Amino acid sequence: MKMDPMHQFAVEPLSAHPLLQIAGHPIYFTNQALWMFIVVGAISLFMVMATSRRSLVPGRMQSMAEISYEFVANMIGTASGEDGLRFFPFVFTIFMFVLFSNFLGLLPGSFTVTSQIAVTFGLAAFIILLVIVTGFIHHGIGFLRLFVPKAPFILLLLLVPIEIISFMTRPISLSVRLFANMLAGHTMLKVFASFVIMLGGAGGVLSLLSVAPFALIVAITALELLVAFLQAYVFAILTCIYLGEALHLHDHH
Amino acid sequence: MSAPEPKDLRELGDRLRAAEQRSAARQKAPPPTSLGIAFRFSTEMVAALIVGGGMGYGIDWLAGTKPIFLIVCFVLGAAAGIRNVLRAAKEINAEISAKSDAGE
Repeated sequence: MKMDPMHQFAVEPLSAHPLLQIAGHPIYFTNQALWMFIVVGAISLFMVMATSRRSLVPGRMQSMAEISYEFVANMIGTASGEDGLRFFPFVFTIFMFVLFSNFLGLLPGSFTVTSQIAVTFGLAAFIILLVIVTGFIHHGIGFLRLFVPKAPFILLLLLVPIEIISFMTRPISLSVRLFANMLAGHTMLKVFASFVIMLGGAGGVLSLLSVAPFALIVAITALELLVAFLQAYVFAILTCIYLGEALHLHDHH
Repeated sequence: MSAPEPKDLRELGDRLRAAEQRSAARQKAPPPTSLGIAFRFSTEMVAALIVGGGMGYGIDWLAGTKPIFLIVCFVLGAAAGIRNVLRAAKEINAEISAKSDAGE
């Protein structure tokens, strides 16, 4: 049996032949792409089923959908102000995508889409692009004031580069945080799971000891459920904060 | 079926509003775990160092001024990292105090 804890993150083509070629690079349909489709499909199924029988007194599905809707609406309201609500569809999509990928990734044998830096950085880069575009649309060239803190002129020579670097770290810290959390959590689960198998196969008293890592897996799985939700929340709320900053510049500081 | 009295409706409205407030307090996100905070701070710091160092290396590579800009930008990156961590700490503080205001 293969016990490589990193094997679960391998991106593998599902078909023998590439779908198409772009400038000589073969493009495959990978397990990663499959799971992204599954995530989007699951979200669509959930939302469509939840809203198909709209009743005044919501059923279980409907109230779950309503809670997630209100949760995101509240989050945008507190983090980026009322006029941030125009970004509701965007933030809701991001939140649901990350949340469902994190949760579906916890199913045994599944693939965690958000454990790939390519995916998380793609999301983060798109968010930052949107922030920059929003900022320039709302404030024109005045958006650049975001990089100019209130300070004497001499200090600005030092502070403006710092602010610019600080802004440029956003897509990186946003994507690395999500990806690293998922990677670390899933690796930890796999490592402890392999302890159970190794101890169980050792025979004698050692087999009995395998209960200990098994109990740990249960505890870590519970922790991972919390982390899966928390990281989706952090990802979404930072999106809101960045968008809010683009809308209001320094107003709320 | 008789039409509901307006008074009933108003009462229902009050009850709905109360329930809404209660659920809003409940729906606030979970408090950040200490592991989450540690992760947040460390990624902010590391990301700033990577960006600063990478930028300096890039400028040096383009201008052939190795290693002046690498050093300068790395230091600036460290400063930006500290700035990021301070900002993140402020956000987390605001989050926690907002939570205790909500009555939890």
